[in-house]
Amino acid sequence: MAKSFPSRSVEAFATCALALGLLAGCASPPSATDPEAVTEYQQTNDPLEPTNRAIFDFNQKLDKLAFKPVAEAYHDYVPDFARDRVHDLVDNWRAPLRLANDVAQGDADRAVETFIRFTFNTGFGIGGLFDVASAAGVPNHQTDTGATFAVWGAGEGPYLVLPVLGPSNPRDLTGIAIDYAFDPLDYSIGELEGFRWATETRGALSGLDRREKAIDALNEIDRTALDLYSSIRSLYRQHREAEIHHRPSLDKLPSPGFSSAPAAGPEISQETH
Amino acid sequence: MMFRRVLMLSALALGLITALPQTVRAADDLDGAKKFIGDLASQAITSMTTKGLAVSERTQNFRKLFIGSVDLPTIGKFALGRHWRTATPEQQREFLGLFEDMLVLTWSARFKDAADHVTFQVVDAKSDADQGIIVESRILREKQEPVSVLWRLRTNEGSFRVIDLIVEGTSMLVEYREEYASVINQNGGKIEGLLDALRKKVAQLQQRPAAQ
Repeated sequence: MAKSFPSRSVEAFATCALALGLLAGCASPPSATDPEAVTEYQQTNDPLEPTNRAIFDFNQKLDKLAFKPVAEAYHDYVPDFARDRVHDLVDNWRAPLRLANDVAQGDADRAVETFIRFTFNTGFGIGGLFDVASAAGVPNHQTDTGATFAVWGAGEGPYLVLPVLGPSNPRDLTGIAIDYAFDPLDYSIGELEGFRWATETRGALSGLDRREKAIDALNEIDRTALDLYSSIRSLYRQHREAEIHHRPSLDKLPSPGFSSAPAAGPEISQETH
Repeated sequence: MMFRRVLMLSALALGLITALPQTVRAADDLDGAKKFIGDLASQAITSMTTKGLAVSERTQNFRKLFIGSVDLPTIGKFALGRHWRTATPEQQREFLGLFEDMLVLTWSARFKDAADHVTFQVVDAKSDADQGIIVESRILREKQEPVSVLWRLRTNEGSFRVIDLIVEGTSMLVEYREEYASVINQNGGKIEGLLDALRKKVAQLQQRPAAQ
């Protein structure tokens, strides 16, 4: 049954490529006579904006019709305790994949943390149902293959909005496909005859858990945004960058580019960084 | 040549001497900045949760606090970016007014909401590369990972003004700037398009001031 995993990822790839190809449209870059506009265009990093916006609108409709109502019902009708167990379980399930990436990134501290978390939570936490490691002071973190590529020096490439999956880029899309095909726990459990349902249920629960956790934040962004598409694009790209480089911390914060000369008064430089 | 070298050396020495008191002062500033943010956050929450006041009165109190602690001209210029210079003085003034309304209506609701189920904690402070100060704080939520919030401050003779809020590594100011640039682009490069979108959004937020 192992063979079916790579073919599943190929399928996912093909679907995305097809969707992109069908809708392909490119934003017209600004004229080279306006260097500031060109800089802005490059920083925005969204040459496929018209296509991305179309997919974003589709995702929004899908969310409104299906994902959000289901997440809200899950929030309203399933007790906190049960939702916490689901969260801890699907999070722990990802730990082996996280460990592989911590190691690939050469991050010994985080690898040790992930290893301790996985053994404690799987053992004392009854198969991951209870996150006992966090309570014991071993913090959690998120990472994935896309982040590993970034640590290895791969650039993100242009901003992409994926059908259903949402904001991404070619580097992280490749990472998602690899994570999907080679998640160690999915892989080994999927190998067992008659246990495919477990990995599929895990995937569905993971999506449900993430959407439920994001209900308030997304409602709030929607309430205040002038243009939800560009708001989400900025938030996603900044957040992803911070996650990969283990920010936020005081030492690693880039300057947004305020002028440093006090004599110059409240002048602001034009660069973002 | 010799004379020039002496001159340069003495200029260097002078620079070192004048730089010294500033580094000594910085330690006091850092403590002051931490206290400033601690007070600001608790006052912001109090302003939005005082019993016996209408929502509009609470928002008015929040606005007073906001005007006294945020450097609006600086962040307004940054948020409008390259379009600030092409805007007419009238457009600049209207933009700053609408931007203030946006920020007050957005963040008053967020502080009100936060008051119910989070604990706010100031962690640390550090000078930044722009001769300002960054205060690190943490929002603790029950059963969830804490949220990191960094406050970027501009200092001026012992007084502080907030110029950015960085939530989980995401700069709110950069987000506003990128969103506003996009709105202007979508409107054929016209600032009027952004002003119009802001007017509509502010009216909408005033109708429905707080999140559900």
